[in-house]
Amino acid sequence: MNDEYLLNKRILLVDDEPELLNIVFSVLTEYGFQNVKTAKSVKEALEEAEKFRPELAILDVMLPDGNGFDLMEQLKKNGSYPVLFLTARGEDDDKFKGFGLGADDYMIKPFSSKELLFRVMAILRRCYKDENPLVQLHNSRIDFSRAEVLKNGEHIPLTAKEHDLLSVLYRNAGRIVTIDALCEAAWGDNPFGYENSLMAHIRRIREKIELNPSQPVSLVTIKGLGYKLIVEGK
Amino acid sequence: MKSISKLIRRFVGIMMLSIIFLVIINVTFYAIVFVKNTPAFSPWDMAQQTADALQLTDTGFFLPDDIAAKLKEQNVWAVLIDDDTRKVTWQTNNVPDNIPMRYTLSDIANLTRGYVDGYPTFTGESPNGLLVLGYPKDSFWKHTRASWDYDFIANLPKNIIIILAVNTVLIFLIYAAANSKLLHSIKPITNGIQNLSSGSPVCIKEKGVLTELAEKINKTSEILQKQAEQLRKKETARANWIAGVSHDVRTPLSMVMSYAEQLENSKNLSEIQRKKAAAIVKQSKRMKDLINDLNLASKLEYDMQPLTLKQENAISIVRQVIVDFMNMEIDDSFPIEWKAADTLSVCYINADTDLLKRAISNLIQNSINHNENGCVIYASVDEDNYTCRICIEDNGIGASDEQIDILNNTPHYMICDTNTSEQRHGLGLLIVKQIINGHNGKVIIDHSEYGGFKVMLIIPRQSTT
Repeated sequence: MNDEYLLNKRILLVDDEPELLNIVFSVLTEYGFQNVKTAKSVKEALEEAEKFRPELAILDVMLPDGNGFDLMEQLKKNGSYPVLFLTARGEDDDKFKGFGLGADDYMIKPFSSKELLFRVMAILRRCYKDENPLVQLHNSRIDFSRAEVLKNGEHIPLTAKEHDLLSVLYRNAGRIVTIDALCEAAWGDNPFGYENSLMAHIRRIREKIELNPSQPVSLVTIKGLGYKLIVEGK
Repeated sequence: MKSISKLIRRFVGIMMLSIIFLVIINVTFYAIVFVKNTPAFSPWDMAQQTADALQLTDTGFFLPDDIAAKLKEQNVWAVLIDDDTRKVTWQTNNVPDNIPMRYTLSDIANLTRGYVDGYPTFTGESPNGLLVLGYPKDSFWKHTRASWDYDFIANLPKNIIIILAVNTVLIFLIYAAANSKLLHSIKPITNGIQNLSSGSPVCIKEKGVLTELAEKINKTSEILQKQAEQLRKKETARANWIAGVSHDVRTPLSMVMSYAEQLENSKNLSEIQRKKAAAIVKQSKRMKDLINDLNLASKLEYDMQPLTLKQENAISIVRQVIVDFMNMEIDDSFPIEWKAADTLSVCYINADTDLLKRAISNLIQNSINHNENGCVIYASVDEDNYTCRICIEDNGIGASDEQIDILNNTPHYMICDTNTSEQRHGLGLLIVKQIINGHNGKVIIDHSEYGGFKVMLIIPRQSTT
């Protein structure tokens, strides 16, 4: 999966603890993010946002001159971009408040760098779609914009359901997606009882993307649990 | 309220039985007195017998000795009045001097229904005239004037029953009126006692016959409410204190963890230094888990984390937890195998998804934490008519019978009400138990058939969608 284009996104970090600010800054820059700015207070954050025009904000809740929830509301007035809360306030009420106000994710300190990066990437991927979504698999290539698979020079069209299922699998490429999550993606809110239909769709997708559908290498089964899409270079 | 109606029923029952008992006693008593006071031989019969026995012989009238003796014994005099002349034709020796020897028709009518000179008289019919017996004065009442309407006597049995019934109702009303005040006072008291047991505040009006009792109940309620309030405050303070400490520890721990992670991945450090950094990361994660566990356990314990139960598919929840673990790719030494039957794809339960996921994660994490050399973790879900059983087990080192017994039956140190310095087990299992209790389920800890540790979560099933 090609996420390179996401590393150019502008990220604004707001935390009153300089030490922690440095840590998150270095975690992001070491991963490859090139545009990261920091702020220690609400005032600083608003000034920085004005100049920097961030595409993602990572906010602490407790700040010396206000709180992160109010800051988010003010930031969102000047531009619509995702917000991730990174805070020591682990109460459900705080979490619900954050999500209620439109936060995209809520992480409670202490956090692992790996998890932070994973969540940041997931938000960016969700909010900023790849302009050229061509996905290279072991034996084929998926072109989501045209809803087709290219295999051995042949263009094979995908049905709407196959497209939905592959999209979910691609968004979670390299990770297992449960049977229930796939059924929900294809059949909506009450997805129980569609397992056999799902298997049929998976079989047809394999016929399109695999060289040997009975021995899949790109769309693998995790017995009883779900499926995993393996994307080249990921 | 049940006790009040029971009390009333019992009182009324006792009263009715008492009335019936008194009626029987009275009837029996009067029957005995009546029988005792009724002469063995009626004076009318005596008169008739005497009339029949009196014979007219050649020498005059003759009364056999046995009859004469009977009359004498009872001090009874007798005269025989001739039908035609209405003169006394025969008399006994003991006839008082002032008894007339000649009678008019009206005299005869009078003596038949009443008295002759105060002597109660009874008559018998003889072929020779009318025989009159005179009993001693004051020996009999003769109801010469009394007479009753025919219907009165004919309806007497029915009337007696009606009178008895009316009497019973009257007695009951008098009783009810007399006791209603008492019952009126008892009702709020019993209500108050019932409310006391349910823990709600009680305030009974302090008047009526049971004022003192009402006062005491109000006072007890006040004390209980005060104690409950103090306990609530204490518990809230404790949970808030734990939450506060957790919050304050989180930011510094974030730095420890992040710096250690950077050192762990630093290429400039030696292998040994990187291993030390990795140990710091590992321990920081443990501290992080501990803080989260402590916070959640205290909240669940003091009911500060209400469960939001919704109908959910247990299989979907367990599957998601396992996949989340597998996606984390922590360590290849802990593969997770799904053991549920392929045929079972839906098992509905009423669950708080986040908390149930937390419970299952804790169990998987327990298997990982307690098996340093790795183990296979097996997850399964099955169901019977009433319950859904989620089972997490492993083929690791397991636990001894004694340990399993302690885990199943001994309260955790955090909720133990006696002083103890013994930390029997981590918070992970306590949280699992608290969460499953909130789902009206139970937790069974046992040996696994795969050789390690097994925890089964049994949660009531929802039959349909």
